[in-house]
Amino acid sequence: MSDFSIIGKPIALVDAAGKTTGAGKYTDDLTMPGMLIGKILHSPHPHARIRRLDVSRARALAGVKAVITGEDAPNRYGILPVGHDETALAVDKVRYIGDNVACVAATSESIALAALELIDVEYEILPAYFDPEDSMKATTDLIHDHKPNNLEKDYHHVFGDPEAGFAEADAVAEARFLAAEVTHAAMEPHSTLAAFDIDSQTSGPGRLTVWSSTQVPYYLQHKLSIVLDMAMSQIRVIKPLVGGGFGGKSEVIPLEIIAAVAARKANAPVKITYTREEVFWAHRGRPRTIIDLKTGVKKDGRITAVAARVIQDGGAYCSYGIVTILYSGALLGALYDIPSIRYDGYRVLTNKPACGAMRGHGTVNVRFAFESQLDELARTIGMDAVEIRRVNLLKVPCITINGLRVQSYGLPECIEKVAAASQWAERQGKMGRGRGLGVGCSHYVSGAANSIIRSDMPHSTVNIKIDRDGGVVIYTGASEIGQGSDTMVAQIAAEVLGCSLQRVKIVAADTDLTPIDIGSYSSRVTFMNGNATLRAAQDIKKHIVAAAAGKMNCAPDEVIMRGDKVFKKMLPEGADGKNSAAQEKTSQDAPAPAAGDPTVSGHVEGQILRGSVQQKRKDEGPKDHMSFEEAVVAAIDFSGALSGTGSYAPPPEARGGKQKGGGVGPSPAYSYAAQVADVSVDEDTGEVTVNKIWAAHDCGRALNPTAVEGQVIGSVWMGVGQALYEEMVWKDGLLMNPGLLEYRSPSSVESPEVCCMIVESVDPEGPFGAKECSEGSLAAVIPAIANAIYDAVGIRLRETPFTPERVLSALRAQKSGSKKLEMTGGLDPTAPDRFREHGGSLCFEGKGPARNSADAARPRGASSPEAAGAD
Amino acid sequence: MEAVSALDRHSGNIKITAGGTDVIPSLKQNLFSPEYVLDLRGIADLRGIAIVPGEGTVIGALTSLSDLEHSAHIRQNYQVLHAAAQTVASPILRNMGTIGGNICLDTRCLWYNQSLTWRKSCGFCIKKDGDLCHVAPGSERCWAAFSGDTPPALLCLEAEVEIAGAGGTRRVALKDFYQNDGIAFLRLQKDELLTRVILPESTSGLAGAYHKLRMRGSIDYPLAGVAVTLKQRNSGAPHGEIEEAHMAITAVNPSPRLVAGLDRILAGKIVNDELARAVGDLAAGAAKPLTTSALTPEYRREMVRVYARRTLLAAGALLN
Amino acid sequence: MKKELVELLINDRTYEIAIHPSKLLLDVLRDELQLTGSKRGCDDSSCGSCTVLVEGVPTLACTALAASFSSDSDAGIAPLAITTIEGVTEHGALAAIQKAYGEWGGAQCGFCTPGFIMTVKALMRDNPDPSDAEMRQALGGNLCRCTGYSQMYSAIKAAVAAERQGLMTAQPLPGEAGHAQAQPAQPRHEQAAATQARENPKP
Repeated sequence: MSDFSIIGKPIALVDAAGKTTGAGKYTDDLTMPGMLIGKILHSPHPHARIRRLDVSRARALAGVKAVITGEDAPNRYGILPVGHDETALAVDKVRYIGDNVACVAATSESIALAALELIDVEYEILPAYFDPEDSMKATTDLIHDHKPNNLEKDYHHVFGDPEAGFAEADAVAEARFLAAEVTHAAMEPHSTLAAFDIDSQTSGPGRLTVWSSTQVPYYLQHKLSIVLDMAMSQIRVIKPLVGGGFGGKSEVIPLEIIAAVAARKANAPVKITYTREEVFWAHRGRPRTIIDLKTGVKKDGRITAVAARVIQDGGAYCSYGIVTILYSGALLGALYDIPSIRYDGYRVLTNKPACGAMRGHGTVNVRFAFESQLDELARTIGMDAVEIRRVNLLKVPCITINGLRVQSYGLPECIEKVAAASQWAERQGKMGRGRGLGVGCSHYVSGAANSIIRSDMPHSTVNIKIDRDGGVVIYTGASEIGQGSDTMVAQIAAEVLGCSLQRVKIVAADTDLTPIDIGSYSSRVTFMNGNATLRAAQDIKKHIVAAAAGKMNCAPDEVIMRGDKVFKKMLPEGADGKNSAAQEKTSQDAPAPAAGDPTVSGHVEGQILRGSVQQKRKDEGPKDHMSFEEAVVAAIDFSGALSGTGSYAPPPEARGGKQKGGGVGPSPAYSYAAQVADVSVDEDTGEVTVNKIWAAHDCGRALNPTAVEGQVIGSVWMGVGQALYEEMVWKDGLLMNPGLLEYRSPSSVESPEVCCMIVESVDPEGPFGAKECSEGSLAAVIPAIANAIYDAVGIRLRETPFTPERVLSALRAQKSGSKKLEMTGGLDPTAPDRFREHGGSLCFEGKGPARNSADAARPRGASSPEAAGAD
Repeated sequence: MEAVSALDRHSGNIKITAGGTDVIPSLKQNLFSPEYVLDLRGIADLRGIAIVPGEGTVIGALTSLSDLEHSAHIRQNYQVLHAAAQTVASPILRNMGTIGGNICLDTRCLWYNQSLTWRKSCGFCIKKDGDLCHVAPGSERCWAAFSGDTPPALLCLEAEVEIAGAGGTRRVALKDFYQNDGIAFLRLQKDELLTRVILPESTSGLAGAYHKLRMRGSIDYPLAGVAVTLKQRNSGAPHGEIEEAHMAITAVNPSPRLVAGLDRILAGKIVNDELARAVGDLAAGAAKPLTTSALTPEYRREMVRVYARRTLLAAGALLN
Repeated sequence: MKKELVELLINDRTYEIAIHPSKLLLDVLRDELQLTGSKRGCDDSSCGSCTVLVEGVPTLACTALAASFSSDSDAGIAPLAITTIEGVTEHGALAAIQKAYGEWGGAQCGFCTPGFIMTVKALMRDNPDPSDAEMRQALGGNLCRCTGYSQMYSAIKAAVAAERQGLMTAQPLPGEAGHAQAQPAQPRHEQAAATQARENPKP
């Protein structure tokens, strides 16, 4: 089917063996002579002023080499240039339980922990805010002085004529949806090792090297330079293996800065690795979200208008928040053809750990609301839920009402595939009470068309070096975090250069060695770094082809590189470029040249040594084919060591509309997903079992089908977790479940079978047509499950997760006609109005953290002896 | 025994661990800070399952839950224990965790099983370092929930436990080993060690079932658990007629407890839906779940009702 | 806070080291012996990333004192055989399960992978032809956040097939030989006549 010899094939990730043997090194696996261990003191209060901070007792403890506080690095930073509201350690105030107060660097972990107990802090407890709707009304004791009403940012967008759209609609649905807060829970807790060199000239501290579990080495380098007042050129960030990110490592996390500051003060390398609890405090996950959604449709199913008011409970710092709230609105577009959109988005600060980017950034909770409401409207007008999605498809290529350019659109095929595979027509609504099917669709960007740092620089640059050994070394800034970016880069380069994968060595994510790439987030790597790799490979290929053409006495465009060989077109060896069996064989059977291979000329392959096979061939004059290394050596003979470079910046046409905030949402290409969930509901217990999920995903072109399936299944599975099990449960800013025992990421036992179907729409701008595959499938599964629950038992849940108590409560209300909500703390999961006082599935009555007596959110007027007192 | 004398010597300043699955995470959270940890792994004669004629089945306290799960003898003769053992935590934790550890499992609560820093931020709790119960403000006692899976099964089997102390060994019925207090939930002296579990011959061969409420299919502690054993009348009675029934619940009180009054409903009857419903109500009445874990107490109590009904029906279906 | 000399048998090699008796096996592996393949993913014994085999039985290294596995010459006790992920490769090549995890996408970020490989090694030994349901149950003590587990099942099936075809002959892991199926290994302690309680001072 394809003309490709490397891409499109299911291959093991190039770094797989390091992972399956345990040989691969993650940051916490690294150690250095003289290395100290850093431990951080965290705030026990959700909102407090630091009156006194005395570290002298800690500093005096034997084995303690440095104790640092906010004063040691007061410069502000934040991942967004407009959101610089964090400091390495608290300056003046703490803003959530877990906020960073001080750090001890000591010769052992136990000494560091003992020293933390010797730090004396006196706090003045301030009123705190936990509910975003309450927080928006705040006028005093603001979380950040420069943010009135604790409002990080609000946006108000109108496209088309929503009012006319609703007037014209035959059916309008309007409801509030709530989504609980969830977190990445990557298996690797964050870790950073920081070390300074001694400068040969000044003999003082010189360059800083930081090894860190990060998705964004260049942003880390940038923020370190701001906080430490050092030139970026004096900072080297190296990303070892990263044990999963999902967005949780896509910005600068406090320990990364703290380790560097501590290393500077201690004059020794410092490693900090978070405990699992600290990972939950660092968080940056998906915020609790309130979605007030209104949708209108005509009798024929066409959507006339959508209005969404979205409030995100963003936690105590900006993080990626402004981008999150913009994605929530922008990606109402580009999935279906919607003529009118009104969007009001509010990103609100509260005294909880900061929320940030998490897989499906900004789109997931709104998509849950939208796809649920569309299902409801389909039932209202008596239309099949799959059909209403068919009716509203985009006609591509197009630019949506909110300025998003869509060029490739595999959604129609995704929908047909999951409908057929799930036997939708035969089974939906026909499996008896207690079992049902539900459908949901979603999409996601293949990278943001506008970088968060506004500049004209390319978003990705890749360099390739090929020397006389015939080895292809690729220098890419892309951050491999398990998604397979190193493999993607290797495959694209090997495909273009017609060489075997074994020739290719990847040097990645090291700011000293690799050109700038803005990181692994928003599913940008395959599209952007892949395109840069493609261009770099084409660049270097020109030189090889020119030399080979000279050797073979033909025009450069007659030269074909494939299967580790270079040959002239029109040769019997399958040189027409088509997929002849012989050629297929060549490409598959041509790994790194083995000893005894006649094209190998000695220990250093490719060198033309006297008396060697190549010398002989050279003497024989023009030929019609050459080995890869012969061609490489020929090119190096002409022009010196080979290097190629390629970069990628999204085209201006893809960069979106001019409205304020219009820079977020546009992407050079969008992935598409459709899913059908088959669920059973136990009506006695409210337990929901997902029997199977059919997931079709349009990834443009699957460069490595195994990796694509892995990403799609992983996304769907993570969505199942959010739909049924996962939530961060709060009591007055105290996280009740900061561990993997109580934050329930699904185990193998209850995880459903996911049947993954790949759709290839071949995007005109993607590398070989490829688009994203790692995030777009997450959002569809939550509404697919919600809709399947409705299909099974007729209850419409508008609050995630669909815990058994919520399902049972709704079932009981359905049966008795009256709401029996004692099981859900008084809240109706079918018509939630606000987050429970403390959110989560429980209403905790206990004392919780100490609170200021003037605290407006103080529950039930309980008195607090420590109010405003010292700790 | 050396172990007991060590307990005696360091009384109050020593913590016992066998499989480590309960104690070691708690040590990391500074829930205990003993000077000594007594690792019992090496005591070989406390490991294994032995059939002692005239006495019953004697299980060494250090027998792993995996050993119980894979024991043909337990599977064939003590169904309910087999069923309960295989629901504990996860396969790896069952390899490590022991029956003695599961019986003596510390009570659990979201306000207690947390790091030192965490507990500091809410002023600690009555079970450790504080004077307030967060799940029942105003309460003088601790309501942490006993969360072992095998004890309700053992209660239904009328198990006894052997306890070794400085003054020798004693035996006590398991139901008298517990008391309904989240802190002092075991009637065990500081210098005593649980050494063996004895399953009487009289309860061998009973039909039994255990159902566990959990969010995930693995790893999780029970949010509620119900064990049932049924003994049917043999001679002359209609098939399935109950002579004696036991039901015990876990994870919804500070100790596992037998549900009283079951015989009044079931004796002389054949298990049916209506009786099962009545038993469910009885069990729910015996449960006092509080906000010690995930899922609301009201829901968990309701699930005791449903699970009791279902477990009884499941056990009833096993009568041959 | 006195250190004690312990003798551990890890991947067929004996290590004599001085450690605090309160030291966890995982910390000894990672910090003292640089066997960093076993990972720390949680602090509450729930994730399985540190799984090693002790006498062939999957065990959480984060939840066991290293000294528990030491020899004790006074009591005539031999050390228990510990196998970590570093001891799984065979003759310098990937074991069938390692190869299959790579080829079938069973590993993405790879952080949980060593723990899974150890669990699966034991599964394949105890149950040479596991059904889907048996695989699901067997993997229930290891959490993965990337894969959704599906591709691991394919990998296990492929490894089972590969081993059966003898394409890759797996050598028994140290300490595994002779153990009956589905029968957790009897610790070598039992061979010793003397019963022994270990007293471990905690710092």
